[in-house]
Amino acid sequence: MKLKVWGARGSVPAPGPEMNRYGGNTSCVELELSDGSTLIIDAGTGIRSLGVGIAKRLPKINILLTHLHLDHIQGLMFFAPCFRSESKITIWGPSSPEASLEERISRYISAPLSPVEVRELPCEVNFRDTPPSEWEIGPAKIHAEAVTHRGPTLGYRITDGPTTLTYISDHEPGLGAPLESLEPEWISGYDLARDSHLLIHDCQYTDEEYPEHVGWGHSRLSDTLTFARRVDAQRLLMFHHDPLHSDDFLDRFQESARERWAELGGPDGAVQMAAEAQEIEIGAPVGMGVAS
Amino acid sequence: MHQKPLELILARNLLTSLSTPAFLVDESGTMIFYNEAAGALLGISFEESGRMPAEEWSHAIGPFGDDGSPIPIEQLPTTKALRQGRPAHGGFTVRSMTGDDYEIESTALPIVAEGGQEGAMIFFWTRANNTRGAA
Repeated sequence: MKLKVWGARGSVPAPGPEMNRYGGNTSCVELELSDGSTLIIDAGTGIRSLGVGIAKRLPKINILLTHLHLDHIQGLMFFAPCFRSESKITIWGPSSPEASLEERISRYISAPLSPVEVRELPCEVNFRDTPPSEWEIGPAKIHAEAVTHRGPTLGYRITDGPTTLTYISDHEPGLGAPLESLEPEWISGYDLARDSHLLIHDCQYTDEEYPEHVGWGHSRLSDTLTFARRVDAQRLLMFHHDPLHSDDFLDRFQESARERWAELGGPDGAVQMAAEAQEIEIGAPVGMGVAS
Repeated sequence: MHQKPLELILARNLLTSLSTPAFLVDESGTMIFYNEAAGALLGISFEESGRMPAEEWSHAIGPFGDDGSPIPIEQLPTTKALRQGRPAHGGFTVRSMTGDDYEIESTALPIVAEGGQEGAMIFFWTRANNTRGAA
């Protein structure tokens, strides 16, 4: 599998010259599967740029949504394939006892927030309410599980041949839980992330920032690193950057993360901040297959 | 061992943070966690006791009726919460591992997730001046 990051920012888009290197677009990741097909995870504003490139070449598109907070769906309205009659788009997202996935997404793609309604989109779009479960899309086996965040939220484990990616973009597994000592069966997301070749995980806050944000559904650095070590992830891509964190800040944050990762006994070169346009060959030896 | 459902993980996280004595049981009635306040009442921490099937914990700590006999399992708030999916309340006696009896009131709250019944949280309130001698 090959991965490309189209948006790694959390909460709200954060454009500006001080954000250029890591990017200001919100969550969106593109996966190229072993048969050449494409799987998209999350539809933050990063999906807009992705859509420009794939609108004509990919009539069938699967999008996995972790949850329906705006930073994970805002780009849907500007996703070029939605406006092509040839497109067949399937959107998978967490189910809720309150309303169907289509009804909940339609609250965004409808007046007064949007000039068009879902039913007016020229593409063929199917919404798949997704409980924790396993299924297949092309050569990929998808495993979805509920994870600790605010509101119904899924994490995804995607296995294609011998390689495994786990994507848990919004996650606070350390809330009220001592991650370093808790039994694995009690750690949110453990089964999803166990032994992944690549773990993409929430790391919105420094440890110093976290006390002001406890319970908001996001991780501090120490919890992200501890979680990654507990699940034996080969490689960690820290994700969902706080909109206040500039490029220079994230550079320092990454250095701090690498030092603490080494203290935890993690392998060299396995920790990285996600950045827009970054490409990764999943399963490649650490330090290879990365282009930014 | 399979990972616990998120609803039970969150329930444990909540109970861990409370000073109200509380237990967590799974859908089979197995006690899968209790917090430090409950451990203080029972005279043994969860880390020491570990998980206990329903028969084991009901034999060890009760609850017991006024005559000292075990209360039938169907009448327990926990059972009502698990089988009927509704909150239930009751008052009775429990016995700590040190042999002290406590009169308590207990409320069981079902944990129902999308896939159905996952378990229940049981909160305890000890009545004032309620410690009786070892039975």
